[in-house]
Amino acid sequence: MAEVVTRLESGTYKVTRDECAVIALDGVSREYVGRAGIVRALDSATFSIVAGEWVAITGPSGSGKSTLVNMLGCLDRPTCGTLKIDGVDVAAMSAKELDRFRADKIGFIFQQFHLIPYLTALENVMLAQYFHSMTDEAEARAALAKVGLGERVSHLPSELSGGEQQRVCIARALINNPPILLADEPTGNLDQANQLIVADLLKGLHAAGHTIVMVTHDPEMAALAQRKIALSHGKVFCSPVTNVVRLR
Amino acid sequence: MSKFGLGTLLRRSLIHRKARSLSALIAMTVSAGVATALLTLYADLDAKLHHEFRSFGANVVVTGSADLDAAQKAAGADANVAQFAYAVATTDRGTPVVVVGVDFPAVRKLDSWWQVAQWPAEAEDVLLGERAAQFVGDEKQVTLTFAGKPHTFTGVGHVKTGGDEDSRIYTSVYTLHSWTNVSPSVLEIQIPGGAASVDSAIARLKAALPGADVEPVRQLVEGESAIVDKTHTLMFGAVILIALTVACSVLATLSASVLERRRDFALMKALGSSQGQMIVLFLAETMLLAVGGVVTGYVVGSVAAWVISEVNFNTASLPRIEVLPIVLALNVGIATMAALLPARVLRGLEPARLLKGE
Repeated sequence: MAEVVTRLESGTYKVTRDECAVIALDGVSREYVGRAGIVRALDSATFSIVAGEWVAITGPSGSGKSTLVNMLGCLDRPTCGTLKIDGVDVAAMSAKELDRFRADKIGFIFQQFHLIPYLTALENVMLAQYFHSMTDEAEARAALAKVGLGERVSHLPSELSGGEQQRVCIARALINNPPILLADEPTGNLDQANQLIVADLLKGLHAAGHTIVMVTHDPEMAALAQRKIALSHGKVFCSPVTNVVRLR
Repeated sequence: MSKFGLGTLLRRSLIHRKARSLSALIAMTVSAGVATALLTLYADLDAKLHHEFRSFGANVVVTGSADLDAAQKAAGADANVAQFAYAVATTDRGTPVVVVGVDFPAVRKLDSWWQVAQWPAEAEDVLLGERAAQFVGDEKQVTLTFAGKPHTFTGVGHVKTGGDEDSRIYTSVYTLHSWTNVSPSVLEIQIPGGAASVDSAIARLKAALPGADVEPVRQLVEGESAIVDKTHTLMFGAVILIALTVACSVLATLSASVLERRRDFALMKALGSSQGQMIVLFLAETMLLAVGGVVTGYVVGSVAAWVISEVNFNTASLPRIEVLPIVLALNVGIATMAALLPARVLRGLEPARLLKGE
């Protein structure tokens, strides 16, 4: 796959592979008005992610990771620049269109799992179906079986281990078959054994062709990705495309 | 076919947060219960207060004519009309005393507030006013003289009112007439209803009894009207005040409910829920509590109205189904108002920050 990596004057890199990009940012900035004036949380980010790619977003706290993830997850819109997801400019969408688009295109995997405490594992997965279109219990059961929780469908989150809760979260993220999986510190709250289980699940999903955008502090998890996008003070530094050979 | 939907979400959410749901349900029940009780009493208030006022005696006095039948017809079948005939006689101790001829059953209905130990039953029985009793030698055998004609009555008891009645002696109007030849000259009438009813009855009486002087007992008519109006205002104010208090309580409960579930709602938003879907979910939950409150509150309020009415007016206020839509509208209104602020919180949710734990 042809890819153009351009070093910009600022020292950052612009990586362009627009012809097959599932995510494409061009000069995306996000500013907030704070007490001290305008704060630029994300500064002219320009990069793209192709379908089937596994990208790790890294950077220290306050570097703009959350802001970037909000943009990629369609939870926020850029102050300026163009953000295209699956070929559609989300910056031009209304809030209602963005809700619909998010349900169709993004599967979220959270560090803290965020399961509804009063719904069973099955119902938590079906909740994503409910907000997307219509519920299908058999499909939800199959998604849970896929992550090894076929026998735990009737359990409440409080009755599941952290690793199991994260697997419910992954099943929920996959249930509507979104083109992009957005994982925010997916192993951040797990012990070593469960980290390995989740990492294996992500590897399997990537092998099956899913696009994964993963925010992580964990170098071992980041090493699983094909490419790192490092953030510092709101600026994006794309890694040399060392893993590009792995792109299909 | 899956059964997962809004119903499951609502049921699970309400059961999961038992304490919060219960406190909101209690607030809505209190609101509906108080509104039901007050509105039921309010609806019965006119009838009950007018009934109470009837025990205070006549509100219209007719002088110059004592045509009982014409007066009864003009005043209406439900009016109490009593004739009064007056003569001044002398007691066996030589003290002049006013002797009043009345129809005792009519007076007993008209002046039910009189304190009477025993009402006369026979034609020759007399009722002695509390002070008049001191003017006679023997309270059992009361001898009175009118225009040189003595007559002995049987004293059966005292009447005490704190007014002029205490200085009089009451006998049957027929006995007085046969003894003194004095006919009734005054009609005292108790018209049921408020000031408007009294005014229209007076007009009819004036037309039916030409030449008679028909006058309302102003203190009573105007006092009754003022008390009824003030009681209406008081009860209306109480309903508003209680509704506002309950609205504040429900608002606090619902706000807390949204705040403690901000992450759940943020998650729903991240999963693609629209603003409308979340507000529908939240409002459905609130409306469910409001309607639940109406069902229990209507029962509780109706029982409360029955007890209050029984204790204060000695008659029961039966449940009024026409109160139900008003109570429902009130509770739904309170719930909607109370839900507006939390709904604004929902609109301002920032899922990314909340889900990140910030």
